[in-house]
Amino acid sequence: MNEKLKQFQQLLKKEKLQAFCVLENDTIRYLTDFFFYSPDDAYLLVTQSKVYCFTKKMYFADVKRKAPYLTLVESLDIKDVCKKTSKLKNKAFDPTLAPYIQGTALFKAGFKTMPNFLELAQEVKTESELKIIAKACHISASAFDLFKGQLKTGMSEKEGAALLESIMQKLGGQGLSFETILAFGENTANPHHVSSDRKLKQNEPVLVDFGCKVKGYCSDITRSWWFGSKVSKKWQELYDLIKDTHDYAATLAKDNILAKTLDTAARDFMDKAGSYSEAFIHSLGHGLGLKIHQKPFLSPKSLDLLKTNSVFTIEPGLYYDGKFGIRYEDTYVLTPKGAKILTK
Amino acid sequence: MRINSTKLKNLRNLLKRNNLEGLIVYDYTDIKYFLGEFFNDGEAVLLITLKNIIVIARSLYESPFKKKFKEALFISEDKNRPLALVEEAKKLKLKKLAFDANKEFYFAAKIYLKAGFKETSSLVSYLRTTKTEEELKLMRKATQISMTAFKNIQKYVKTGITELELKRKLEDEMTRLGGEGLSFDMRVSFGANTANPHHVCDGTKLTKNTAVLFDWGAKYQDYCADMTRSFWFGPNAPKEYTTILSLVKKAHDKAAKEAKYKMSGAQIDKISRDVIEKASYGKYFTHRTGHGIGMQDHELADISQINNEPILDNYCFSIEPGIYLEGKYGVRWEDCFYMTKKGIKQIK
Repeated sequence: MNEKLKQFQQLLKKEKLQAFCVLENDTIRYLTDFFFYSPDDAYLLVTQSKVYCFTKKMYFADVKRKAPYLTLVESLDIKDVCKKTSKLKNKAFDPTLAPYIQGTALFKAGFKTMPNFLELAQEVKTESELKIIAKACHISASAFDLFKGQLKTGMSEKEGAALLESIMQKLGGQGLSFETILAFGENTANPHHVSSDRKLKQNEPVLVDFGCKVKGYCSDITRSWWFGSKVSKKWQELYDLIKDTHDYAATLAKDNILAKTLDTAARDFMDKAGSYSEAFIHSLGHGLGLKIHQKPFLSPKSLDLLKTNSVFTIEPGLYYDGKFGIRYEDTYVLTPKGAKILTK
Repeated sequence: MRINSTKLKNLRNLLKRNNLEGLIVYDYTDIKYFLGEFFNDGEAVLLITLKNIIVIARSLYESPFKKKFKEALFISEDKNRPLALVEEAKKLKLKKLAFDANKEFYFAAKIYLKAGFKETSSLVSYLRTTKTEEELKLMRKATQISMTAFKNIQKYVKTGITELELKRKLEDEMTRLGGEGLSFDMRVSFGANTANPHHVCDGTKLTKNTAVLFDWGAKYQDYCADMTRSFWFGPNAPKEYTTILSLVKKAHDKAAKEAKYKMSGAQIDKISRDVIEKASYGKYFTHRTGHGIGMQDHELADISQINNEPILDNYCFSIEPGIYLEGKYGVRWEDCFYMTKKGIKQIK
C-alpha cells in the first residue's frame, strides 16, 4: 500500500467505516498515484484491508506495474461495487464528488453520504507530496525570472503566455495548473482575464498569474510589474501596499487558526492605509494540491482551519476597472514555524 | 459580446421538443460551448430558459462577466449555487426545468429533484455532437497545425533523444504554428512502451531499431485534433512489426472508406475489427476503433462494439485501430473524420 492509501485507511478506521467508494478521477489519482486517462475510467473501493480498483481491461498491465497494491476488477458497472460491499454495514461516499447516477445507486445500496470527506482527506500533505509541490513551485518561480527578461513590446498576451508556458516545460513542468492569465494595461483590472491578442506597449502595467504541474500537483503564483521606466506614482503606491499586505498576512498563519482570520486581517491592513479594501474583490487565498482550488479557503465566510502541512496561496489584489489591477501571490506550506514560501 | 445565437437557438428548439422551459448547464465544456472560455471548472452554473440566460457564479466573476455579456443575468454566489438557482427559478415562476443526470454531482441533483426539476440526459452533449460549419473549420485548422508540426519535428527523431524531449519539441512546434494548447496529454513512446496504449512519456531514450509511436493533437480555439502515427526507427524492422503495422493501416483505411451515413458506431467498428480478427490478431486490439471528438478529445459518437446509435451528419470521430504485443511493441494509426449524407470525409 502507498503512504496516502494507508493514511486514508487510518481515517476510515477513525470514522468506523468499513468501506468508502471514490468515483472522482483526481481523487483516485491522489490516492493511488495512478493516472486514469479519462475521467470515467475507474472507481475505487477502499476497505480497511484491501483497495479494489474497478476499471477497463486496457489498464490492467499498467496498473499491475505501477500500483501493484490495487486489487483489479474488470467492470465499470456501479452495481458490481454494490455487490462487493453487500455484507458491509458502514460504508460511505462523498456526494460532492460523486456523479448523480452512480451516487444514486450507492445510496440505494446502503452507502451513507459524507460531504467534503475527500477534500478533508487531501488537505494535509505527506512529505513526498510536499516535495513534488515544492518542485512545481520552484519551476514556476524560476520560469518567471527568465520570462520577465524576454517579454518585449509588441508581443501579444497570447504569445507571452505561450512563451512562459514553454519555459516552464523546459525547466521540467508537466502541464499547467490552469490557463495562464497574462494581462497588459487595462486588462490587468480583470482578475480572471483570458489572454488575448492585445499587444504590450511601453510604460504600462503587466500582470501574470500562472503555475505548472509536476506529477499532477499544482503551483500558483502571480506577479505584477510596471513595464517601462515611467512608473505611475499611483500604481507604485498601490503595489507597495499589496506587497506589504501579502507579507503581513503570511506572518499570521499558524496551526489550527481559522483561515478567514488572515483574510480579515489583510482587509483591515489595507483599510488602515486608506479605504482600499473595497477594490479587493476576491478572497485572500485558497488551498491547492492536485486541484488548483481546494481546502483551506482563505475567504471572508470560510470555516476552514489552517493545518500544519497544508498548502495554500496568499494573493491580495486591488482592481480599478478601466485602469489597472495589481495582485501579488505566492504558494505557501504551513510548518510548525509558520508559513514557508514555496514559490521561490 | 453576444452569446452564440445558432447554438442557443438549437438548444431552445431542443427544449421545446422536450416540453421544457429551461435547462441547467453545469459541465465545464458545456458552459464553454455557449460562452467561450470564461469560468473555471465547477465555479458557475447556467440556467438557459426559452427567453433568458441566468448565470450563478463566484462573486469574483461579477464585474468582468457583466462587462462582457450584457444579455445574461448574473447572480453572485460563493457557497451553494444549486440552491441559489432553485430560488431564482421560483422568483421567475419557472417550473418545467431539467438538469443533466450524467453531468451533475449527487448533492446538486438531490437539490434539483427536491425542487421538482426533471432529469434529462446529455442534451447539450447531443447538440455538441453535430458540428456547425464554423466548428468544422476550427477542427480542420487544429488538424493542419498538428500534422505540419509533426512533419517539422521529424529531424529531431534521432538516437539519444528522450520521449519527454521529443514530446516537448512537438508541443513547442504546435504552439509556434498557432496551436492553443493540447487536446490531451500526448504520447511519444519508444520500444516496449508502444505496447501500452496509454503510456505516460518518460525519460526513455531512443535507440536504433525500435518501435516509435506518436499520439498527439493541438487545440485551436477550443477544438481538438487527434492523430496517431507508428513507425520503426532503423533499418531492421522485425517481420511481425511490419505485418501488424500494415494490418492496422489496412483496418484504418477500410473503415475510412466504407463507413456510411447512418451506420451505427458498432458497424463501423466491425469494419476495422474484422480485418484484424481475420489475421488472428483480434485479441491484441484491446480498445474501441474510435471516439467522438470536438471541444473535448472524447465525446459522443463512439465507434465501438457497444454503440448502436447511427452516425449522422456532421458527427466527428476518430478511427484508430491498434495492435499491442505486451513486452514487445504496439502500433496504432489514427485520423479524424466527419460524416455527411454522401459519405465519410477526413478532417484535414
